[in-house]
Amino acid sequence: MDLILMTLTTGILVGGIYALVALGWVLIYKCSGVLNLAMGEMTLIGAYVSLSFYSMGIPFLLSLLFSLIIGFILGVLTERIFLDRLIGEPVLTVIMVTVGLSFFFKGTVEFLWGTDTRAFSPPVFSIEPIRLGPLIIGRVYLWSFVAAIILLVVFVSFFKYTRWGLAMQATADDEMAALSVGVSARYVYAAAWAIAFMAAGVGGTLLGNINGLNISVGYLGLLVLPVVVLGGLNSVPGAILGGIIIGVLQNFCGAYLDRYFPGGVKEIAPFAFMAVFLLFKPFGIWGWERIERV
Amino acid sequence: MRARALGMVLAIAFALSPAAMAQEVVIGALSDMTGATSDVGKDYALGIAEAVNYCNDNGGVNGKQIKLIQFDYGYRVPEALTKYKLFQRMKAVAIEGWGTGDTEALAPTVTADKMPYVSASYSGHLTDPKKTPYNLFAATDYSTNARATITAWHDTRWKKHADNGKRKPRFACVYMFASPYASAPIKAIKDQATLLGFDIGPDQDVSLFAVDTKSQVLGLKDFKPDVVWHGNTTMSVSAFMRDAYALGLGADHIVNLWGLDENLPRLAEKAAEGTMGATVCAFYNEPNIPLMPKVVEYAKKYNPGVPQEKRLIRTVQAWSNVLALWEAMKRADKAGALNGEGILKKGFETMKDVDLGLGGAKLTYTSTDHRVSGSVPVYEVKGGKFHLVQVTDIKSRWPDKWPTWMGW
Amino acid sequence: MSTSFLPCGEYHQNYHEDHAWWQTKFIKGKMVLLMLVLFIGIPSVADSYWLSVCNQIGYTALGALGVQLLIGFCGQVTLGHAAFLAVGAYTSTLLILEFPWPKFLVELGLAYPISILIAAIVAGIWCVLFGLPSAKVKGFYLILTTMAAQFITVDFVITQYISQIGGRGQAFSLPPGTIKIGPWVIDSDLKVYYMMLVLVILLTALVLNLLRSRVGRAWVAIRDNDISAEVMGINVVQYKLFAFFVAGFIGGVAGAFWISNLAAISPEHFPWFWSLWLVGVILIGGVGSIHGTIFGSIFMVVVMELLQMAVIPLASSFPKLLMDFLFIKEAAFGLAICAFMIFEPNGLAYRWWQSKNYFNLWPFSY
Repeated sequence: MDLILMTLTTGILVGGIYALVALGWVLIYKCSGVLNLAMGEMTLIGAYVSLSFYSMGIPFLLSLLFSLIIGFILGVLTERIFLDRLIGEPVLTVIMVTVGLSFFFKGTVEFLWGTDTRAFSPPVFSIEPIRLGPLIIGRVYLWSFVAAIILLVVFVSFFKYTRWGLAMQATADDEMAALSVGVSARYVYAAAWAIAFMAAGVGGTLLGNINGLNISVGYLGLLVLPVVVLGGLNSVPGAILGGIIIGVLQNFCGAYLDRYFPGGVKEIAPFAFMAVFLLFKPFGIWGWERIERV
Repeated sequence: MRARALGMVLAIAFALSPAAMAQEVVIGALSDMTGATSDVGKDYALGIAEAVNYCNDNGGVNGKQIKLIQFDYGYRVPEALTKYKLFQRMKAVAIEGWGTGDTEALAPTVTADKMPYVSASYSGHLTDPKKTPYNLFAATDYSTNARATITAWHDTRWKKHADNGKRKPRFACVYMFASPYASAPIKAIKDQATLLGFDIGPDQDVSLFAVDTKSQVLGLKDFKPDVVWHGNTTMSVSAFMRDAYALGLGADHIVNLWGLDENLPRLAEKAAEGTMGATVCAFYNEPNIPLMPKVVEYAKKYNPGVPQEKRLIRTVQAWSNVLALWEAMKRADKAGALNGEGILKKGFETMKDVDLGLGGAKLTYTSTDHRVSGSVPVYEVKGGKFHLVQVTDIKSRWPDKWPTWMGW
Repeated sequence: MSTSFLPCGEYHQNYHEDHAWWQTKFIKGKMVLLMLVLFIGIPSVADSYWLSVCNQIGYTALGALGVQLLIGFCGQVTLGHAAFLAVGAYTSTLLILEFPWPKFLVELGLAYPISILIAAIVAGIWCVLFGLPSAKVKGFYLILTTMAAQFITVDFVITQYISQIGGRGQAFSLPPGTIKIGPWVIDSDLKVYYMMLVLVILLTALVLNLLRSRVGRAWVAIRDNDISAEVMGINVVQYKLFAFFVAGFIGGVAGAFWISNLAAISPEHFPWFWSLWLVGVILIGGVGSIHGTIFGSIFMVVVMELLQMAVIPLASSFPKLLMDFLFIKEAAFGLAICAFMIFEPNGLAYRWWQSKNYFNLWPFSY
């Protein structure tokens, strides 16, 4: 029983981080239709920026804030320089541009910060875990989950209750109609990318706190894809739910299935599960079903 | 296409013309400075270049300067292959390789081409001259290191343990099953564990890029291991250690050499206290090592932009490999055979008890055994710093078993 | 049925001439010249290094051919093709090493060619397995299932299960002399080069012929609008799965070819990066064009080599500079891909077509 509870808790907490990064992804897709394969590298940039500020002696929360601001600027710049010209191009071209972007970001991060493993020192979160009855929870994980929930609430209320949020939803729904009502599509796209950068930055910083920062943290970008597919490409709550489900799934597969296979189930479980799930629900849990007409 | 090829031939001829004029020995180096193993690869690559400069400043190969051609192949194996052909074209006599990917891929080719390949992959199965005579390295191999480490743990920690003599100690391995480098020494270390009388528990699969390993820690909790072997690199070892600390696994950690560097205590903090591991040379800037001041001096001179705290033991490993190759080339040249076969037969295989002055074992290569030594220094982490525990010599402790341990 | 312009005065007198691949004497002459250059010209001037570059180009082209088929001609985007190359490579290797071949086959040197064929069929079937979701799933979701194929195959099935066969583990090398075709042992770059040429030409001819037939027309219809295709009576699922099979088949041949290049194998040779790379190759070369596959492969391989060679003068100066240059190279490469996509979305094949037309229509090429 203890094992189940521990696995579940760890899964939910780790899933929170996946959810955070997936959030940004879904935003970009929802508002501008761009399938972004550079998410992992965006996480890296945010993480390294906060690390730099933190190493300069600035307190953690303030460095996080600075990295959010820089993420915002980078998001707007990226959208303006690279993605504006691709409006209307076929899907594959856009995907390849994001792949090119990922190489570019990776090269830039390596150039600016080198490839060594770095740690947030002095450590931001104590290594001592919190004990709640039979549960042992690492502090980093708890804070990551809290951050993810906070951001979720912020985003959902942003979309529902502010003018900007409504504008973004409108553009996502039907761009032509939104344009005719006076919503500027370019601003909406730029805002989407900016928010994605910020979300990825927070996710990356938290990840960097768990176990040090290194280029390999960027490989998380691959895991984002099953998460968003599971939750549905257009759905923000779907991203959160998908993140948590994938986190829990990974942990359960690792804990229970590893003994039946020669090993390595934990890494591919999300992909296998996603592949099977899509056969039953081709659009994810809450994705918008596309009705195609000839 | 042909105009481009012609232009490239001209460019290469131009680049090489100064080389053609001076008396030079060419060696090639493959590094990973941008790919999956670049966190340690970069340090190693810097070490290679600095060590070659040291060799050239100290007479080169009997007067001939060493020209180093260093390429980053980003752990993309197809590129390693074409670079190898380029090295051959540029008449390299030996190659400083890097990791398991390129070394394994090129092993049959270098054997056929008789090109000495000094790699940073110290895999046990490369030590058999009957299979891979041209794969060499100036270090004790992974399997020997693993055996020595668990022996050292048994000698020091288990002897002081409360249950010593009452029960068998319990041992488990944590590594990435899918990685050839991580799984290389597992068979050997389990054999050694059985020899020493351990109970062996279930292996846990932890990816090299793992961030969260709680489920694997929980998988071991029932077995209650006394010591856990880590086959992965620093980041994932540190992740496991932190999770083990949080969940109270209570096991000692022994780590392979690619997981044991100055970054480990930085990443895992308290969780890394008491970790033991084998190295193949001294740590960077360790006191009382004869050649260490030179290593530091050259690092400061040629790479002033890289801060001293960032330099790792990998630099010293690179120096070991380069200095060993230099010694072999000098010997081969004196015997008048400065080519691939000469460097192997008249160079490496004449080396007996050569001490490079870097804190590693004395190197001996024979024509039947390319394992340099059985003696391995084992360190532990105390207060965030590395201290030598003991030098374990498994060759002299099990002399009858030593020849049977070659090649795996 | 000629896709290029026929010069004035050329006319065909029977269907046989009209359906011919090479329609005019001029084109026939060009192709003969090309074959001469490929089979005789290049091996006589190129040394081992350039031959290995050509082999690399051939390998990339074979891999990209399958991807081009799926993406460019059938409209199914696939981001996991390296997995099928891996399947082909491992099947071929294990067949050569483990299967108890009858003596006379080994004597005749037919073990390897037969293993290539079997490996290709296995890879094709494996690809169909992962193509099954295409019956229900479209667009980005399909991309994800093919990505799943990549990870599940390479990181799980091969490294965990296949490596158990024969007890060699997952990364091993083949003893010299095991790769034989007929009386020739494939052990030098020159022999690999000839093998590569034969394979590329055969498979390109196969694909071109398929595209010309009913199957090819069905694929193009599915690519352009699969709902209309279904309405017209094309069995969409069947043709999609057939496309996956052929793509997997070609990938299997490419993988089996790869082992002759290197005589060693490891799952690390087929990372996800390579799948992305193949897609990049066809995008740069031009989607939906076989010329594009070849041009894209040549371009990508040669550019990577040139970039590396530009580093040689730097190698003798301070290593730190070298490393910075490498990072800049990686960033520049990413930028180059973006630039290509933004400014030249139709790829190199388009440029080629334009220059051909310029010459064909001269002096009226405006």
